[in-house]
Amino acid sequence: MKYMLMMFGSQASMMEQQSPEWIREMIDFMHTLNSDLTRSGELVAAVGLTDGTQAKRVSLQNGIPVATDGPFAEAKESIVGYWMVDVESEARAIEIASRVVAFIGPVGAPPLEVRQVADAPPEV
Amino acid sequence: MTTGAPVEDLLRELAPRVLGTLVRRHGQFDACEDAVQEALLSAALQWPKEGIPENPRAWLVSVASRRLVDEWRSQSARRRREETAGVLDLAGQSEPSDADDALTLLFLCCHPSLSAPSQLALTLRAVGGLTTAEIATAFLVPEATMAQRISRAKQSIKSSGLGFALPPDEERADRLRVVLQVLYLIFNEGYTTSAGPTLQRTDLTSEAIRLTRLLLQVLPEEGETAGLLALMLLTDARRAARTDADGSVVPLAEQQRDRWNAAQIVEGIALVTRTLGKRPVGPYQLQAAIAAVHDEAATAEATDWPQILAIYHVLEQVSPSPVVTLNRAVALAMVNGPRAGLALLGTLDGDERMQHTHRLESVRAHLLELAGETAAARESYQRAARRTASIPEQRYLALRAARLA
Repeated sequence: MKYMLMMFGSQASMMEQQSPEWIREMIDFMHTLNSDLTRSGELVAAVGLTDGTQAKRVSLQNGIPVATDGPFAEAKESIVGYWMVDVESEARAIEIASRVVAFIGPVGAPPLEVRQVADAPPEV
Repeated sequence: MTTGAPVEDLLRELAPRVLGTLVRRHGQFDACEDAVQEALLSAALQWPKEGIPENPRAWLVSVASRRLVDEWRSQSARRRREETAGVLDLAGQSEPSDADDALTLLFLCCHPSLSAPSQLALTLRAVGGLTTAEIATAFLVPEATMAQRISRAKQSIKSSGLGFALPPDEERADRLRVVLQVLYLIFNEGYTTSAGPTLQRTDLTSEAIRLTRLLLQVLPEEGETAGLLALMLLTDARRAARTDADGSVVPLAEQQRDRWNAAQIVEGIALVTRTLGKRPVGPYQLQAAIAAVHDEAATAEATDWPQILAIYHVLEQVSPSPVVTLNRAVALAMVNGPRAGLALLGTLDGDERMQHTHRLESVRAHLLELAGETAAARESYQRAARRTASIPEQRYLALRAARLA
């Protein structure tokens, strides 16, 4: 079954407060995690989004869809990226998320959210 | 994509010539394209076992034509008679060389009426002979998406009634410019991935080089084609040194130059030397000349910046753009000091075209750092990190900022 592991906050501002050593460790950590998941055959996709300050909002104004810069959700509510993994169980998805949280949690990153991807029923 | 298997290499080389021949004889680009893909598949299965036929091109043309005829048989009889008559008519005419067919095909795939993503995808499939799955992998999109993109591109060619002929002389220069642009986009898509976790997608880079070589073989007199090939070779020569073990960016000044590809540099420099000064000079030749000056320097310190600055000056006259000004600012800083570079960067501040790229901030940050303005440099690196769409670049910029804390 597939799960999406969603990471929130702002990667750029998170890195702005950290030491070069921590940033290097973080890069290593992400590389190792992604190659572990690739090797185990569990990685479907790993996607990082550009910073929320670059985003646009599209909303209906007087009946017309209009694109504007901001205002945006609080940085901690804004998605920065996600992994899509294809795993045996929810427990395994939580295990992977725990590995990420153990690394980025201590520097104040918001919690990860683990959601199952809705699959079509198997074809017969 | 480039496995080096002799059969696969041969098929990829023949693909555009076979397709070109078929489209010229029968029209119907979309039907011919399907037939050629099937013929290539048959060859890929049969040749490794049974050996390569004596005339592989003729084999492919005949198998693909048979598929095409089978396809027509299943359509209406009236239609079939018309098409067959058409085939017989054309078969008696004198045959242009298959290299001309490949060129016509390239012009067709890069037709200005197609969107840039369509041009790229169609060129890789019809001229490059890649499968839809390979192209999808290279662009990191699902195969179904790429299949749809290609089929829509073929549909536009069909509905716009574009004929299979070289563009008329008066349009030729403009059309060639689009072809070169498509090849350069393919190259850049491979060299600096615009999104995603890895910095380089080698396959698209080598494919762009292969197709540009093909174009230069057919049009050896075009200075800009030679210029583009030289630019690609001289840029790609630095590939191995451009990222470190964990995939992070290594800037030009810090690269281990002994890891550069010497053979590609020699070939690139020879191409630039041959074309410069002989023909009306164009932007690709000038950019290649700049890349050549960089590649000739044994160390970053030995770089001939005054010469680079002089070439950027010419480039700005020939093909002015904010990106050229940005690069000239770097050269100016290296020759006259960071303040001079920063002053030139200031002229780009209000430029709309610079709003959605991180490069202006990234260059400004470097120059501020050189000028010793640490706090301002740090802020500038951070602004650039927030703007880039490439994760390796984002990390590189965040690291530079963190070092200045």
